[in-house]
Amino acid sequence: MRPSLSVRIGGLVLANPVGLASGTIGYGSEYEHLVGIDAVGALYTKAVTLEPREGNRVPRIVETPAGMLNSIGLANPGIEVFVADKLTELRKRRCAVIVNVAGSSEDEYARVVERIEEAAGPESRLPGAPDAGAGGTGVDGYEINVSCPNVCHGGLAFGTDPAQVERLTRAIRGRTRRPLIVKLTPNVTDIASIARAAEAGGADAVSCINTLVGMSIDVARRRPHLAMGTGGLSGPAVRPVGVACCFKASRAVGIPVVGLGGIMTADDALQYLLAGARAVQIGTGTFVDPHCASRVLAGIERWMEESGVARVEDIPLMLEE
Amino acid sequence: MRQFEAEILDNRRVAESWRELSFAWDSDAESPEPGQFFTFRATSARDPLLRRPLAFSGFAADAGGAARASAIYQVRGQATRLLADLAPGARLDVIGPLGRPFPAPGAGERPFIAGGGIGLGPLLFLDARLRAALASPTLVLGFRNAAALPSIDLPRGTIVCTDDGSAGERGTPVDWIARNAPPSRDGAVRVYACGPGPMLAALASLAADRDWAGWFSAEQWMACGVGACMGCALPRADGKGYLRACADGPVFEAAEIAWGAER
Repeated sequence: MRPSLSVRIGGLVLANPVGLASGTIGYGSEYEHLVGIDAVGALYTKAVTLEPREGNRVPRIVETPAGMLNSIGLANPGIEVFVADKLTELRKRRCAVIVNVAGSSEDEYARVVERIEEAAGPESRLPGAPDAGAGGTGVDGYEINVSCPNVCHGGLAFGTDPAQVERLTRAIRGRTRRPLIVKLTPNVTDIASIARAAEAGGADAVSCINTLVGMSIDVARRRPHLAMGTGGLSGPAVRPVGVACCFKASRAVGIPVVGLGGIMTADDALQYLLAGARAVQIGTGTFVDPHCASRVLAGIERWMEESGVARVEDIPLMLEE
Repeated sequence: MRQFEAEILDNRRVAESWRELSFAWDSDAESPEPGQFFTFRATSARDPLLRRPLAFSGFAADAGGAARASAIYQVRGQATRLLADLAPGARLDVIGPLGRPFPAPGAGERPFIAGGGIGLGPLLFLDARLRAALASPTLVLGFRNAAALPSIDLPRGTIVCTDDGSAGERGTPVDWIARNAPPSRDGAVRVYACGPGPMLAALASLAADRDWAGWFSAEQWMACGVGACMGCALPRADGKGYLRACADGPVFEAAEIAWGAER
């Protein structure tokens, strides 16, 4: 018998545990001609903000050992263009679509979610229905970005303070019935307390980790490689940090944890699942190999068959401690 | 665009730290045009991590349908060192063709092609295409000195410029074009270019002064190469935000971009 790959996040049933991380896949169309995006469990969109954002000064990226630093600055066309253009594209997706939302104030986050709720209408998908994506509303849930290291206001300022995370989560919770995932930063002393705050505010899940604050300097020119000085570190270099954060967060809350950070292979993804994650996301790995997510998914399924694991949701219970 | 495993056909040294790569082109992928690029990975290890972009320097298909693409590259980091180590027969992970190509010259426009360094490959490809279309381009290439000249057959009539005058004309391709291209409104001119930011900035300003059409290819660090990550942004000349080198370019109209600006 083939193992069961579906996982539940709040009321949402994902066909499999592998998702594509926000900021690495646009709104889906950029990679469409290269890979079958719909085979993943979920697509997490590029962050949407109330106003359009040009993004940060350039250069915005630099490669580092087994990783990369980025300082994109949440470049996006803003909520009105999202609603007018992107939502139509997203409605065609057959995988679950989780819209990543960012803002520089509680009010901004709330207004973005309100506008999407208004445009997308009520949830229409039947949880777990095969091909539930076709003809969907284009929005199956939200990932609340309280952890972007590359913007001055919002982002990290929210994600490092449990009280603010709880208040923001509650404010958004009051505006949607769709599943709510709060994306956490590893740039904190105690990620467990932030995860608990998100849960207390009504989140259906937390995802971790966003990027780690990092810096790289061009010695010959004696200046930072990135125009903004610092950026967010991602890629295989951060995986052990992500796995540890997932482990801590999953033991602090009762809601599911979605793990991400440096996943390139099925083994990497299984480390996150064993550490306590119910689902995972592939980010930088897609840049390196657009087929990364499908390889990871196939590898998870093979490992489950070989290990006699019937349900992917059982993997988080299997860690020997 | 398509991702495929390409067989390396040739990977020869053409100058100190410069190489010319040729590889078998996947028949299911579109044919690359001058100005377009591909991204490659020369290792499946996790370091170096990201794909690297390279512009095509040529493309040819034989009667039987077998095609080969080529690129000229500088060995200057980990990824290009690994690429330089690959021998004919080795496999290369390729995604392409990517980006917008150089547009054809307008009717009656005289094409000048200027550049150097990493711009060499795409400009040779463009030059060959324009010659094949009987557009009679003038190719002007700049090098540091005679020793930096690559050992490749440059098209007949190529103007070689060196900073120190040790080969060809002394000065830069922009100097040469300023002296030799027809002055403003005395016959339409279109300049094509690829090269260092300051050179493009100088040429953009010359083109604006003389009312020439200009199409330049940009260089920027990239992560995804397909338009998703917004990492390879270039500042617009009008100050209204950024354009993506990979998907909006890499070829832009000269007046669109603040060339050589870091901001």
